[in-house]
Amino acid sequence: MATSARPTRATVTERLDRVDDPELDESIVELDYIHDLAIDESSVTVELVLPTAWCSPAFAWMMATGARDEIEDLSGVEECTVRLEDHMHEDEINRGVNEGLAFEDAFPDAEDGIADVRRTLDEKARMGRQYRAVEALTDAGIDPEQVVELRRADVSLDDEQALVSLADGGLVVPVPAEPMAEYLRKATAVGLVTDSTDRLFATPDGETIPTAEFEPVQRRARLAKTNATGQGSVCSALNEARNGVQGAD
Amino acid sequence: MYRHDGEDVFVIDSHIHHWDASEENIIHEGGEQFIQCFYDYHSAFTPEERLWDMDEYRKYSADRMIEDLFRDGHADMGIFQPTYLSEFYEDGFNTIEDNAHLTEEYPERFVLNGRFDPREGEAGLEELERQKDEHDIQGVKLYTAEWKDGSKGWRLDSEESFEYLEKCAELGITNIHAHKGPTIRPLNRDAFDVADVDDAATSFPELNFIVEHVGFPRFDDFAHIGAQETNVYGGLAVVAPMAHARPRKFGEIMGELLFWVGEDNLLFGSDYALWEPEWVVEAVMEAELTQDQRDEFGVELTHDVKKKIIGENAAELYDIDIEERKAKLRDDELSDEFDMADQYGEAAAD
Repeated sequence: MATSARPTRATVTERLDRVDDPELDESIVELDYIHDLAIDESSVTVELVLPTAWCSPAFAWMMATGARDEIEDLSGVEECTVRLEDHMHEDEINRGVNEGLAFEDAFPDAEDGIADVRRTLDEKARMGRQYRAVEALTDAGIDPEQVVELRRADVSLDDEQALVSLADGGLVVPVPAEPMAEYLRKATAVGLVTDSTDRLFATPDGETIPTAEFEPVQRRARLAKTNATGQGSVCSALNEARNGVQGAD
Repeated sequence: MYRHDGEDVFVIDSHIHHWDASEENIIHEGGEQFIQCFYDYHSAFTPEERLWDMDEYRKYSADRMIEDLFRDGHADMGIFQPTYLSEFYEDGFNTIEDNAHLTEEYPERFVLNGRFDPREGEAGLEELERQKDEHDIQGVKLYTAEWKDGSKGWRLDSEESFEYLEKCAELGITNIHAHKGPTIRPLNRDAFDVADVDDAATSFPELNFIVEHVGFPRFDDFAHIGAQETNVYGGLAVVAPMAHARPRKFGEIMGELLFWVGEDNLLFGSDYALWEPEWVVEAVMEAELTQDQRDEFGVELTHDVKKKIIGENAAELYDIDIEERKAKLRDDELSDEFDMADQYGEAAAD
């Protein structure tokens, strides 16, 4: 069944959907950054256009390498080319990404790699998602002191709902699945929640939340969310003006 | 003056430019991309009937600016924030001397700010003194991501920068407007990182630090600093037009700002000519938080709060006595030309 392994538009798009704009914490597919997608047997070419030519080169780099890595992981793909268009630094980025260079080799005047930037953005994204997940729990009537105590093993997820176990399993509360699933994906990716005994939520520094700090931590988390969606709103307006892409909100 | 809720509201547009991005003035592709990026912002948020075309956007006359701000734009005063970008533009994008023509012609209408760049060393310090002597500047606009001789930016908390801030304190230049916002070219080390404001503000309590564009896209970092430092302010340029184009998002951002930074530390700015103040002022003054937002943030965007943001807070920072100024504006050339004297109150009986 050689043909079944060939990449299709749907499988490639599904992969690209896993790549987020690191600043907005939203998928590059959802954000309409993919301007063209060409599949020729086992080679795939993706054309990316960002909302402005001035988009941070570090962020553009993360998205371009993310797209390349996701597609190259797909069975049946032998070659993937990413083309960033209309960007201040498209030459450096396209060359670097397609030749497999490190960021600091593509940009000799960069001071370090981009791992620290990535980490900061991931942590902000994790906080933004934590805000939504915690809101879902408190909306379901779970008290702050119970929320801060929760561990990974206390939550089970299916497509429709997340079941949250309280009082040593004596009480199970259903909450909407999406905010919890999204939170867990990011919290796992950043290494915060990996083990079943790990606490579910944390302060911006990754520490356990003291009950007295529940409100302040939730406000910090809300701020991270407002920043990402506020900037998202600016970017979507720019994308619409520059590239004719109709944004949401 | 803008009339709102049956009351006259004094409007100070705290972020304006008279720029030149004409093709003749551009000497680096960055200059072209910079103005194109501005134009994208312009197109993205401006109501369709108020869109400019690219040619008029590149370079506009002083007359047009005066009309857009004061005749049509509800502004009573404007504060110039120069932006040099000398590696991109032959004669600079928007220089102090460009702006000085207008401030000299209409001294009651404009406030002229200066600028510095700590990479200019001793010569830069002398230039700062010259700006104070010649133009009596009370503030500076700083562009920490400006390119210069291979450097792609500088930090407000560097040793060199502190020398300049000391000089500002000594000369009585108290308002430090730092552009922190939409990017120029932050590589991995981010020239628009707002963290450097924190240390500078703590070290110079006698100075006021106005973070322009409230730090977007690092607004969360800014809000956190603004909550801790009483001499840190937020400039609303770029956020303000969202009141028209994205009202719900605007409400959310104002909710956060009022919660963290507070109603006394926020300044309105249109960012002219990114946008004309007319529709921006109207949108901000008409903006309301939803009930959900009021509940969520525990703050109110009342008429009085909006009055502070639209003019009173800037008046405080720039020592402007609004009542006194109204009396002067009543008799100025522009009130006469545009028949606006009445809005500044009755003439004193002879």
